[in-house]
Formats: sequence, structure tokens, C-alpha cells
Amino acid sequence: MTEPSATSALLSPQLMAQLERLELVSRKIFRGRMKGERKSQRKGQSVEFSDFRNYVPGDDLRFIDWNLYARLDRLFLKLFLEEEDLHFFTLIDASASMDFGEPSKLAFAKQLAAALGFIGLCRADRVKIETLGGARSRPAPVLRGRKSLWRMLEYLEGIRPELNVPLSEGIRDFCLRNAGKGIVVLISDLMDKNGYESALRWLIAQRVDIYVIHVLSPAELRPDLQGDLKLVDCEDRDVTELTISRPLLDRYEKTLAAFVNGAREFCSRRGVSYVMASSQTPVEDLVATYLRKRGLVR
Amino acid sequence: MSGLFNNTLQLWQWAVLAAVPPLIVLLYFLKLKRRPVEVPSTYLWRRAIEDLHVNSIWQRIRRNVLLFLQLLLVALIMMAVLRPGCRGTTLVGDRFIFLIDTSASMGAKEPGGTRLELAKRRVIELVDQMSRGDVAMVISFSNEARIEQSFTDNRRLLRERVQRIQGTARPSDVLEALRAASGLANPGQSSEAGSPVDAQVAGALPATLYLVSDGGFQQVPEFALGNLEPRYVRIGAAAANVGIVAFTTERNTEKLDQVQAFARLENRGVEQAVVEASLYRGELLLDAQKVVLPAGGGGGVRFELRDPEPGVLRLAISASDALAVDNEAFAAINPRKPATVLCVTPGNSALQTALETSAAKRLATVTFVAPTFLEDPDYERRASAGDFDLVLYDRCAPKNMPLASTFFLGSVPPGEVWSSGGKVSPVAIIDVERSHPLVAMPDPTHVRIVEGFVVKGPKGARTLLDSQDGPLLAIAPRESFEDAVLGFTLVDADGKGGIQANTDWPRWYSFPVFWQNVLGHMAGGTQSESAPTVQPGETLAFRSLVPVETVRVRGPAEVNTDELRRSGQGYFQFGATDKPGLYSVYEGDSPEPSQWFAVNLFDGRETDLTPPADVTIGASQVTAASGGGQAGRRELWKWLLGAGVCVLVFEWYVYNRRVYL
Repeated sequence: MTEPSATSALLSPQLMAQLERLELVSRKIFRGRMKGERKSQRKGQSVEFSDFRNYVPGDDLRFIDWNLYARLDRLFLKLFLEEEDLHFFTLIDASASMDFGEPSKLAFAKQLAAALGFIGLCRADRVKIETLGGARSRPAPVLRGRKSLWRMLEYLEGIRPELNVPLSEGIRDFCLRNAGKGIVVLISDLMDKNGYESALRWLIAQRVDIYVIHVLSPAELRPDLQGDLKLVDCEDRDVTELTISRPLLDRYEKTLAAFVNGAREFCSRRGVSYVMASSQTPVEDLVATYLRKRGLVR
Repeated sequence: MSGLFNNTLQLWQWAVLAAVPPLIVLLYFLKLKRRPVEVPSTYLWRRAIEDLHVNSIWQRIRRNVLLFLQLLLVALIMMAVLRPGCRGTTLVGDRFIFLIDTSASMGAKEPGGTRLELAKRRVIELVDQMSRGDVAMVISFSNEARIEQSFTDNRRLLRERVQRIQGTARPSDVLEALRAASGLANPGQSSEAGSPVDAQVAGALPATLYLVSDGGFQQVPEFALGNLEPRYVRIGAAAANVGIVAFTTERNTEKLDQVQAFARLENRGVEQAVVEASLYRGELLLDAQKVVLPAGGGGGVRFELRDPEPGVLRLAISASDALAVDNEAFAAINPRKPATVLCVTPGNSALQTALETSAAKRLATVTFVAPTFLEDPDYERRASAGDFDLVLYDRCAPKNMPLASTFFLGSVPPGEVWSSGGKVSPVAIIDVERSHPLVAMPDPTHVRIVEGFVVKGPKGARTLLDSQDGPLLAIAPRESFEDAVLGFTLVDADGKGGIQANTDWPRWYSFPVFWQNVLGHMAGGTQSESAPTVQPGETLAFRSLVPVETVRVRGPAEVNTDELRRSGQGYFQFGATDKPGLYSVYEGDSPEPSQWFAVNLFDGRETDLTPPADVTIGASQVTAASGGGQAGRRELWKWLLGAGVCVLVFEWYVYNRRVYL
């Protein structure tokens, strides 16, 4: 197998070596469009035996176990597990607010998307990485197989933090265009002044397996601000004048904690997996530890 | 305006001041320059301050806390220049002297604390009423006066010094304190009035004298107040009190194995009091008696102690009154120590007989030596070391006076202090100074004396026997000793190598009694057993039982004082007697006390807790005043300015810490 040259900054060889052993897991049963490497709960035509059942007229005679018929003089049908592919979507919030932090939240999101996408490609899953609201201007490719890694990385590197699309609008657009079932990983900071709830409800209505990776930069978790400031929102240029003092910072941290807890609560009540991550967290740790615990990979 | 406020500004000045608040508001609206900072989202910041916006007025107030503090500061300054005031009292005059009584009676408990605490509070109130520029001084007094603070206008310092005043267990004597106050108020009195050499270094300035006391001191009608204007601030209310005013021990002269302890109690209440007087040795109860004391009267109590060992005695009465210090008294029985007496005589059988009676032996151990012993170095050493209590010189005299009391028979002490004023023959005793214990004896006027001489003593000498031509027996103090000279001999040389009688006195009863008195009084033979007692603060002089150079004294507070060194007169002087109780004397390195002395209050005036309505100071009869000053206006502007400074400090804190939005 030839490795794509574009391992670039997004995926290091060491990380790829780790990821190759993993696979994406869906907690729900999906019907894929093509046969993949994944065992389906649906009985099918793979080589992996699953069960026997009595023959009923109309069954495919090719699956009758003739050896059993010889021994018992009764007709049994051999059932095999169907192998199928998985639709794996990664939605990256590429708004301007994601360009903050060291490293930036967007870089972290791209790296995470690359890692998860690589896992999917290795398992011949159907991988699609989209930016919120960006699909129309720059359609995202549908990728399958390790050979598509180069295209995936190329696409990821081309993502720029310039699409200030409201979260709900971006997700609604995604849902309307992708009716199929599968796994959706949303990587966002959820900083939408209209709230993230309506956006997630769109996804929940799709009956897909949803993972929300809530990315926050250290500057958001522990702001290093002090004094008389005019805070300018980088997305809508909204201005908030504040005199930042220790009590206000304490209040901010409480508000942030309430915001994160609110999102976690909202997600857990609706069967959505929620992971809060700092943009400083190494991607391999996140994938190998947190997402493994959450059941996205194994 | 004239009641509460007292305007100090003119109209145009008010106009300028009134323009300040609008100016502050105007400046405030010129918005604060804020540094722009781009953030990923203001979403969380807005949510963080969202609840503060719920009550927008409150939010604005909080946001403008600096503005409001500045406006408050200006308002306070405006109020201050209006000079608000209220009715109060101010002190009359500009120089004040506060005399605070710290004697034992000021330790009596009153509602709200001891009398001294009330007095200190009252003086602090008076200090607070002082106007700006007034000066005051503080003197505390018991039986001695102490200037706690000389004249100053620093009221904080005055208050501090008043607070630091401590009570004592001493009796009170206001005269010394008045003298101290007068010396500062009437500097011209520092030298003789009207004298041409009176320097008049400073002009006499009138001062108001506040005597803050319960009046338990001797009135001082002879004191000249001069420029002092006395005011009496009476402290405390009348209270019943029973106290011990005397307690002493003495050997029973009839039964020598017994010691009697006498005490006198006084009841200074308006009702009859029944108290139980208990006598303890250490913690051991020896005896107790119930004493009934009539209202305003006193009573005695006597305890018989059979063959008591030397030790300490404590008498306590069961009276739960306001003053505790006089409910306890101390005495001690010191070890019996006969006086050491040296009799230098060429031979005098009558004198020897008189000094060797059994009664005399109990008082003193008398050693007889010939006049030649005066030349002996051993005599010189012992005389200068103070080994003798008394030295009798019969018809002889030493070269130098010894460190002991002396009695000269028919001779005069060396030096020019004493002299003989010519021979008298015959001699008739015409007068006896009976109040003196030395001549407390049967009448000697019928004694016949062949020849004698007139005794001329130093200034201060007291004539005890008078002859037709002048003093025949005189006694005079010499530092801590006494010298007595008798102007006739008992026997004389007859010129044939024998002796002949010069007087028939040895045949009379008065003769042995006189010599017993000499041993008892001049050698200290009768005083050796009962320990001396002094009042708190008095200095006590005592001699050691064995010749040592240093002694230590341990007081009731169990604090070892420094070593005392013997003074030139062979006495030890101890002055740290502030605390009533028993003081033990340790001689040299001895771990056991050798003698004791007691410090007791024993002052009827201190026991009397009823403050008089008026006191006599000089020619003035000063009546107790309820207040210390006269009605006046109390200015409040300083408080407002103080509040302004506090607001300013708070504003600075808010500005620096950015306490909130």
C-alpha cells in the first residue's frame, strides 16, 4: 500500500500508525449503500456465519445447508452476516471564532477530522467532511478507501475560517442535503448567539449517531484579560465594554461552566455524545482516550 | 442656619463649590478610554453580565460607583464648610490639670467598674471636651504624686496617658499632688514670694484644676491655690465597708510564752455589721472570732497564741464589701533575737546589776569590757561593722562614734556635736519628759546626785531629764541611730584608788526600770519579735540578724527583688512595698527567710468609701460638680472631613482594584 504524501501537519506517521488499528463504531444500525468491511446486524451474504433457520418456500436454495440435510433429512438455511459500509460525516465549524487560540480551534478541528476520517478510510467507510455552510461554495468530496487520504487532507487544508454561518443554519443545510444515516461528528465551539439547541435538534431528527466535540481554546477557558476593555466579537463585530476584574472573571468562569454543563445535559438527554476538549489537547489523546470511552472508535 | 449649621462661605464661594458636582458628572460622561480587544465571541461575556442587567438602575449604580463616591465626597466637604454642630459641653478655660486619685479606695467596685476606671473615663470625657489649643496635664496621686503627662494640647496623648494609669494600694495624700500642680501653674512660687532674688522665670498662668477623686484624703486648708481654679469631680457613691485598720502582735509581758495578736476593725457603713475575723498561719486556721461592729464605729479583736514559732500571720474578715484590700492584714513573728550590747566601764557594780537582771537578759546580751578595749582592733572592727545594737560608755568615750546607738554615762561623745555645759553640784532633777519611753519609770525627782554637768546636745536633741541648771539627760538622732548622754556618773573615783557613789539612784525602783527601758528602746530589744509593718509605698529600713552584706526580699507577688546592699549605717533599705502582704528577708545565700515584715493599708480614710460632697483645698470649699464643663457648641465638621478622607480612601481602593464593573 502506498501512503499518500500529504501526511502534512494534520496527520503524523506516528498518529496514522496508531489510528490504523482503530475503527469507527456506530451505536445504531444503518443500511449502507455499498458493502463495506463492517459486519451488519442485517443477515446477508458475507462469508461469516451467523445462524440457521428452517427453510421456507421461496428461500434462496444456494444457502441450504446440504450437509445438514444429509444428516437430518431436513432443510435448514444457513444465515450469514451482511458486511456493509458506514456513512461517516464530520462537520467542522469554520466560523471566524474558530480561528482563535494557540493552537487555533480550527486547526484542532481539522486535525481531529483528519484523524477520524483516516480511521473511516482505513475501514472503507464512506467519509465526508463538510464545513458548516461551506458545502455550497466548496462542495465536499465523498471519500472511501485509503487512497482518498490525500484528497481528504487537501480538502481539510483548504478550509479557511471565513464562513460566519449561524450554527443552526449550517446544520440545517447539511441535513437537507444528506438524508442518509450514519455517524455525524460536529466539531464546533457552539458559540452561537442564537443558541446551539435548534442546530442539534436538526441533527437529532436525522436519527444519526451524533457526536459533538465542543472545542474551546485556553483563552476561552481561562481568559487572560484585565482592566477597562472594549471586547469586539470577531464574527459580528458586536462590542461589549467591560472593566474586567477578578470578581467578573469568576463570574465568567461560572457562566462558562454552566454553558458547558448545559450543552452536556442537552446532549445526554437526547442520546448525543458530548465531549468537551481544549484546543491544546493532543488529538491522539482525544481519539485514543475520550472518543474510545465514548464509543466512537474502538 | 445658626442652630445646626454655621455658614463659613460667601455666596460666590458657594457658587464655585456648587459647580463641582455637575463638573464631576460631566467629566464622568466623557467616557473612559477602553482598549479594544478582539475575542472569539462576546457570547459568554454577555451571559456573564446578563443577570446584572436585570436591574438596570442597580447596574448603573454599580457601574458608576466611582462617580457616586466622588459626589459623596463633595457633599461631605460641603456639609463640613457649613460647620454643623450640636449642643454639648465644653471646658471653661484653656489650661487644665487633671489630678487622678489612684489610692487604695479608688479600687472599690462600683457599677460599671472600679472607681479608678470611672475616674479615667470621666477624665477622658473631659479631655474630649477640650477645645482646640487648650492644654492639659495629668497627675496621678496616692501618697505620692506622679506627673503622667506634662502640659500638652495633644488629646490623643492625654487619653493614652490617662488609660495607662494603674491603681495602687497606697493611702492618699493630695498635698503633694497639689504642690506639683501648683508648681507648674504658679512658677513664681518656686522661690520665696516677694524675695528680691526670686527669678520669676515664667509668668503665672491660671489653670483649672480638676480633682478626680473619691475624696478619701486629708483636707488641705493650709494650701495656697494661687492661680489654680479647683473643681472637684466626685467619683463613686456611698458604700458600706468594713476594714482592718490595725493588726499587730506583741509578747504578753505577764505570760512570756504567749504572743497576743491585736486587730482593730472599723465599720464605715450606716448599718451594724457582724463579721468573722479569722487568723491564719500560712493556710492553717488558728482561731476565729465573731465581731459586732456598730454603724460608723469600730471594734477590737484579740487572739492569744501560745508559744508561737516565728512565722507569718494573716487576718481575714468575712466581709463581702466593695473594697477588698482592707479585708486582709498581715503580721509576722520574727525570731527572738536579744540585742547585742557592749558596756565599756572601768567597773560599776550598780550598772552591772541593773543590766544583768532576768528581765534585762531577755532583752539583751550585755558584754562588759574595760575602757582599754576601746584601743583594741577587734573593737574597731566590730564597731564599724555595726555588730552592736547599743554601746554604753561609762565615764569614757571612743575616738570615733560606732555604727550603733550609744549611751554615755558621765562623759560626752567625741567631736563638737555634744558638749558639757559646766559642772553642777548638787544636782536636782526638776522635770522628766514622761512621753518618751526611755524615762517611762517611777518618778526620779527625789534622786540625789552629788555632782553632774549640763548636757548640751546637737540641734534636734530632746531633753529627757532637766536639772536646775539645764538638761541632765538628752537624746538625739544620729543618722539611723540614737545617742543619749547622761550628765552624771553613778560612781566616781574617790582619789584613794577606790570608788564612791555619786548618786543614790541605784536604790530606787526607777533605776532598773530605766536601764530596762534603755535596753528595750535604744537596743531594740522589745521590738525584735513583732515584725515591723509599713503602709504600701513606704520605705522600710531593717537590720539583718547575722552580719551579711546583701539580702534578698521576696514579696507577696513571689518576685525576687534584686539584692539589697547594706547602707553605711548598717541598715538595709527596701522601697518596693507597693503590694500589701508579707515580705520575707533572705540573708546572704540562705534559702530560708530569716525575718519578715508586713505591708498593710491600715488607713481609716481609705476604708471609708463615702465620698464627701465637698473638699477643702486652701481657702476654697470645693463642692462636687456633676459635670466638668459648661454648655457649648460641639463642632461636627471634623468628623465630616474624617468621613471624607475615608470615602477618598475607599474610592482609591475601588479605582485600583476595579472592584466591579
